[in-house]
Amino acid sequence: MTKLGRQIEIGPTDNTSNERTPRNRLHLIPDAARASFVPWAPRIQGLDPAEADLTRLAPGRPRAEGDPIKVTGKVMDEFGRPIRNSIIEIWNANKFGRYSHIEDHSGLQLDPNFLGLGRTVSNDQGEYEFWTIRPGAYLARPDINRWRPKHIHFSIRGGSSRLITQMYFDGDEHNDTDPMRILMGDNFHVNIGKEYETPDEDFDSGYQFDIVIGGKNPTFFENI
Amino acid sequence: MTHSNKKINRLIPTNEDTIGPYYPISFCDGDSIDMATTKNGIIFKPEGEQIKVNGCVRDINGNLANGVLLEFWQANAKGVYRTPDNINDPDIDPWFTGYGRYRTMDGNFTLKTIKPGRCGDRAPNITLTIFSDGIMRVVTQLFFENDPANDQDPLLQVVPEDLRERLMIKKTKENEYFIEIIMAGENETPFFDDLLS
Repeated sequence: MTKLGRQIEIGPTDNTSNERTPRNRLHLIPDAARASFVPWAPRIQGLDPAEADLTRLAPGRPRAEGDPIKVTGKVMDEFGRPIRNSIIEIWNANKFGRYSHIEDHSGLQLDPNFLGLGRTVSNDQGEYEFWTIRPGAYLARPDINRWRPKHIHFSIRGGSSRLITQMYFDGDEHNDTDPMRILMGDNFHVNIGKEYETPDEDFDSGYQFDIVIGGKNPTFFENI
Repeated sequence: MTHSNKKINRLIPTNEDTIGPYYPISFCDGDSIDMATTKNGIIFKPEGEQIKVNGCVRDINGNLANGVLLEFWQANAKGVYRTPDNINDPDIDPWFTGYGRYRTMDGNFTLKTIKPGRCGDRAPNITLTIFSDGIMRVVTQLFFENDPANDQDPLLQVVPEDLRERLMIKKTKENEYFIEIIMAGENETPFFDDLLS
């Protein structure tokens, strides 16, 4: 009998999760095949620093509606070693809970000054910084009155690092009913941005969201 | 105890989360699902047999899984992966990255690539990572039906024999192949655990 890997769980009340979550346990990868599962993504060249500022469409344009916030953090491996030069992408809903994505058919209010998507590259210490608008929560399942709590999506890639995750906000009343939050169980706290004050800066507040990439994906990080 | 001691100084990894339905399409602008053609007007091409793999991703009801982000990764025709630790390998193909990424709006895709070579005892294969709304990242590896190296492949050995067929890319005509990925339910594609492994 071969030993098996994780059983991926279905997010409670999430229809898509029910339709797309594998029902069988994952198969463990033998050592001889392990390295072949770690892709090495080519670099993206020439990111514009303004892409890290989501509060405006472009420098000089009016600021989007809502509370401007600063999101900062450090990308690390499990030993706390910085992960440099990785592409960090974020995307979040506007103040009203609406994405600028063409497939968001919620009908919630758009903000013509907010795209809600940005990119940057982690520096030599693994640090990053974004400016965005505090996202709104939105009703995800009107039939059962289930909301998605406020959240910011994150993708980290470049080299072999790949992580898709979300930053949540402490105390959001909808956190506890969120399907993916429920699956995170006791470790949910690591996905919460730690709020801090930003005196003399033009932000409502700052959030520190350190990202630790686990597993064996960071195999090549030291070569970056 | 040894196990927990080893882990004690490690940080808790950030939980993976679903990509959701709204991954910005513009983040895919530089991406390509065509590894067989060299960009920027260069005449050189990667070595090897140019192939087309038509495929689709389906959910538990047999419906196409719209909006999934697919990532492909493979060795070149000589069985060499392009990773930072082998940049001096003479068998690296300068015209082949082995990396492709594609967001499929409707769940169908056509991967243009070259047929990967054998890599040691590894049969020719293509790694596929799927990012989708409703789930965390899942990964699998796809093989070529009837390839003689399949019988000895160490990864296929851990998959029960009756499930291996679900990982087989099938030839439909010269240089053209087909694969159906079923994310859940009947005939579910076997997926692998690259976090615990």
